This record gives sequence, C-alpha cells and structure tokens, in this order.
Amino acid sequence: MPDSAPLVRIEGLHKSYGGVVKVLQGLDIEMKAGDRVVVIGPSGGGKSTLLRVLMGLEKIDSGSVSFAGKSYISADGGRTAIDAKVRRSIGMVFQHYTLFPHLSVLGNLVLAPMKVRGEKRAAAEERAMALLTRFGLAQKARSYPAQLSGGQKQRVAIARALMLDPKLMLFDEVTSALDPELVAEVEQVILQLAQQQMPMVIVTHDMWFARNIASRVIFCAGGVVVEDGPPEQVLGSPKGERTREFIERVFHIRH
Amino acid sequence: MTYSFDFASVFRNLGPLWDGLLVTIQLTVAANAIGLTLGFALALLVMSRWAAIRLPVMLFIEFFRCTPAIIQIVWFFYCVPMLFNVFLGSVTMGILALGLNLAAFNAEAYRASIQAVPREQLDAGVALGLGPFQRILHIVLPSAVRNSVPVLLTNGIGTFQQSALVAIVAVQDLMYQGKTLATQTYRPIETFTVVALVYFAVSFPVSQVVGYLERRREALAS
Amino acid sequence: MTLDFAIVVKYQDALLLGLWMTLKLTLICILFGCVLGFLLALARTSSNVVLRGVSSVYVEFFRGTPVLVQLFWIFFCLPLVLGIELSNLASGVIALTLYMGAISSETFRAALKAVGREQMDACVALGLSPFARTTSVVLPQAVLRAAPTLLSNCVSLFKESALVSAVGMADLMFVGQNISNNTARPIEVLTVVALIYFAIAFPLTRAVTVMEGCILKKLAI
Repeated sequence: MPDSAPLVRIEGLHKSYGGVVKVLQGLDIEMKAGDRVVVIGPSGGGKSTLLRVLMGLEKIDSGSVSFAGKSYISADGGRTAIDAKVRRSIGMVFQHYTLFPHLSVLGNLVLAPMKVRGEKRAAAEERAMALLTRFGLAQKARSYPAQLSGGQKQRVAIARALMLDPKLMLFDEVTSALDPELVAEVEQVILQLAQQQMPMVIVTHDMWFARNIASRVIFCAGGVVVEDGPPEQVLGSPKGERTREFIERVFHIRH
Repeated sequence: MTYSFDFASVFRNLGPLWDGLLVTIQLTVAANAIGLTLGFALALLVMSRWAAIRLPVMLFIEFFRCTPAIIQIVWFFYCVPMLFNVFLGSVTMGILALGLNLAAFNAEAYRASIQAVPREQLDAGVALGLGPFQRILHIVLPSAVRNSVPVLLTNGIGTFQQSALVAIVAVQDLMYQGKTLATQTYRPIETFTVVALVYFAVSFPVSQVVGYLERRREALAS
Repeated sequence: MTLDFAIVVKYQDALLLGLWMTLKLTLICILFGCVLGFLLALARTSSNVVLRGVSSVYVEFFRGTPVLVQLFWIFFCLPLVLGIELSNLASGVIALTLYMGAISSETFRAALKAVGREQMDACVALGLSPFARTTSVVLPQAVLRAAPTLLSNCVSLFKESALVSAVGMADLMFVGQNISNNTARPIEVLTVVALIYFAIAFPLTRAVTVMEGCILKKLAI
C-alpha cells in the first residue's frame, strides 16, 4: 500500500431502511493509518450504522468503502458487494458482547483462527493464552461466558477480535451495557491498544473516554458529518451550533 | 393407486358423525370446566407450605402427567365402578377422567405463571402499602391468570383431541362414530379423513389464537 | 372387595415383553422422529415458499388432530393407499414417527430462532463462513437450547405410544388390558401397568426440569 493511500476511504455512502428511513445520507470520510477516530452524535444519527457498514453487516444504497487502497464494499445496482477477504482485516466489538455462550473463553478465542485461517488448535490456544494473560484473564480461560462479569466478557470479546490480527478495530458502544464500575477495565484495554498504534473507530457516549483516546473526533447527526477535527477542537470549542448544543448537553448530564 | 374415492358414503351418514361431534364437544367443555377450576385449586394446594397438603396433591398431579391418558381412561372405566360400587353414565365417566387429567396439567400452568410473577411486583405492592391478601388479589392473580391463558387454551384443545380416547371404552363420540361408520361402509379412508378434518377444523383456529396471544405478549414484553 | 397384587407377579414375563415392545417402539420413533423434526424445522425456516408451505401444513395438521385418529388412518388407510400390507409394528412406527416429527420440529424451530441476530453479526465480524457458522455456532446452540423440550417431547411420545394397543400391537398397555380382561382383575393389573409407565416417565420429567436449569444458567449471557 502506498504511504499516501488512506487506510479507509468512504465515498458517497448512502444507507436507508427500505428507502424510507434514511440513516446515512452521503458520507465522505478518509481515515489515515494512525487515526483513532471517535464518532459522537445523537441517537439515530447513524453512528452505529456507519460501523456496521464498515464491518460489512449492512446493505448500502450507494457509495463505496475501500480499505488500504482496495475497494471492498460497493453498491451495485441495488446489491451490496462485499469482499470477504479484505473484510477479514477488520475486527469489531459489539455493545452486547456477543460471545458464543456454548463455548468456553478459550473456545471463543480459537474458533475463528481455526475455522477461518486453518490454524492448528495448539498454536491458536497458545496465542489465545498470551492475549488473555495480557488482559488479566488467564485464569478465566476455561470459564464460560455466563460465569463472567460484563467487563470480563467485553475484554474477552476484544481479545477474540484481536486473534485475527486485525489492521483496524471497530468498537460499537462497547461500554454502554456495563455497570459504571466495570467501564474502566474495558477502556483500559482499548487505551492499551491505542498505545500500540492500532487504528480504530469508536462509537461512544463517554466524552471523557473520547477526549482521552481520540486523535480525531467526528460529530455525526442526521446521517451526515457535521463536524470533523482534533478532539480539543470538536469537544472543546466546536464550530457548529448543533455540535455545541450536543456537547453541552452531554457534558451537562455527566457532571 | 387404484383406490376410487367415494366421499358420498360419508356424507350420507353425517347424522351419526354430527351426534358424535356433539358428544365430543360436550366432553371437551365439561372437562375444561373441571380442569380450569379444579386445576386452580390444585395449583394453590401444591404451593402450600404444609407438606401434608402439598405432597399428596403433587403426587396426584404428577401421576396424571406421567402416565398415558389412555390408561387413565381405561382405569377409570374399569376400576372406579368396582372400587366405589357406582357406575355413572359413560359420558359422565369420560368427563371425569378427562377433567381430572386436564386439571393436573392446568395446575402446572397456573403454578408456573403464579411463580413467574416477578418479586419486584410484590415489593412494589409492599411499598404501596397493600396487605398480603390485597397483594395476591390485585397483583399476583391478575397477572398469573393473564400469563397462563395461552397454556390453558393449548391444554384445553389438547383435551379436545384426547377426548377421542373415550371411543376405546365405547363412549359414542366423534371418533367412535367414525370407527363404526368406517367398518359399516368399508370406507375407512374417506371416513377417517373426514373425521380428522373435523378435529383439525376445531383445533387449528384455537392454536392460531394461542400463537397470536404469544406473539402479542412477546411484542409487549420487548 | 380384596385386592390381590400377587396376580400381577404371575404375569410378569408377559408384562415385561409388553414393556420391551413399548420401549423399542418409543426409541425407534424418537430416533426417526428427531431427524424428521429437524429437517422439518429447517424447511419451515427456509426461504423456499413451497418447502415452507408443505412443512407448515404437515406440522399443523399433525398437531391439530388426535394421535388416535392419525394412528387409525395409517393403520387402516395407508395400506389401501399404498396397496401394500403393513405390519402392526410398521404402522405403529410410521404413525408415532410422524407425530414425533411434528412436535419436535416446533422444538427445533424455537431453538433455531433463539440463536439471535447478534450471534450472526459476531460470526460475520469474525469472518466465519456460512458453513462454519452453522456447524460451530448455530447447531450446537440450537441443540443445547432444544435439549430439555426435546426430552419432554420424548416423554410425550412414550405416553402416546400406549395408543398402539388400540390397533392390536402387543405393547405394555395391550398386554395389561389383556391380562386384566382374562383375570377379571383390572384394579391390580391396570394400576401396576400405570405405575410402570409412571416409574419411567416421572424421573424423565424431573430430568427435564434439572436440564432446563443447567442450560439456562449456561446460556444466560
């Protein structure tokens, strides 16, 4: 990949449900390899949908998305074409953990490497244990998801995504379902990844976390990018009226 | 297949089939009346804190739930007259056997939905200053009864189908009339098909209603 | 009147043979019925309209009519329709398999539905192929979720199997009724037969409850 090519390039992205409910209305976003993008904005503004589109979980109406110079999602006459091979470079963590309840923590981690990459169980388990140890979860390897706290589940979900060596991580409101005292342990893990220069797109309502982790903040509302810039600017002194209102309201609730 | 159908032979004999259906409906309605009331009483007894009440009732319920309905009916018809030296009309016997069976199943349905009333609801009742009796009357019962409706309907229609078993002990219900007709006219296919369709025509709409109620409850819960 | 349960002991061999027939019939029909039920559940959730229509009509019809009527239809009519002789055992197996297929298909269908959309999203995000998704995620979870209800379907089948006595198959019920008629001791004989059924069905229904608890605990995320 040439140095100048952006890591992710979103062009003219439109997405609606049944042509009626327009969720994304023409997004153009370029993301560099070192970016840690935090997407904020009101509910229904299209943040989560954007992440789901990037992961290839949603059909789109028009536009295209490319990763490392290769187009992998495009709308083609009503059909959405997704290149599954490129998509494998992207990992995602969801709000509701989505661990596989019938598998142990270790089983959750090694399933995809074994099935997708044909990795041997022993090798996959070794890597999995190393990751779990790093996240302080080594002693939970044989536990089942139902025996874990929300914070532990979410850390396992992050480890599971990392097993496939993603080049980009997507975090969709990963702390929203957690009890307040469990939020920090999950955010610590994401900050750890940030220190290792992992490119990421994060949707969150936690403005403290957004300010700490973002290299860039995008304010999304009504299906379009309203404001886009460094965190100090978007969160500290927003230009747009809507952004200012939103941020004032959110910070007001938090403090 | 070389069989030539002749549904006319069935339609010439609609009279006995109709009479049979009336008996079947009579059995179903009466057994449901027993099942709904006795079942509720059993549910309350089985939740009693005294083992002397709870255990026998539990045994009664489990016995009806864990043995084939056909043996319950045969047992009833042969043994009750001998044991108690009474013989009620055969339809009455059928109603009692089916009714007791249904009561056992309904008791379970009531018990499950009473115990499914969330603890928070009762806490809220305490917080609102309702007495124990008021809590049961205004909080537990309404929601328990509402929750048990789909299962009670399913059980009720199950009894409608089970009632065909009384044909084995010669109660002249729809099944019995069908069996007789099939032998008399040598037209088993036509007769049993019509009989099956009649049972289906009654069961199916009820099961659709149950499905609707359950979907609506799911929709309301989410 | 005096009860004499010793009479039953005299006939224990015949009763055991009947019980063996009941168990054999039940087990065969559980096996075939579960396979049929799983295929029906897949057909009912398929996107093909014909498959969905046919399987729905089948399931609704078998759930909407008395098993006794189904049994009689197969016993008396199927040989005429097919133009072949069917043994008692064959008719019994066919009837109860079709019945088990219908009730277990509902169990499988509910279990398949319970594997939620979010699990599928996770599979996509992990790059799992549709095949790996089905075999490693959907199927194991569906089987786990279905297990308790499936066991209770089996108990229902075990109880319904007593109906084959009405078409002359020598199962436990049939043997019991015969002995009771021949000895004129219905109270002793029928009570013992009922107790045998109870002794098998009751522990199994308890097992259903225990299993439900375990699986709920395991799958609750």
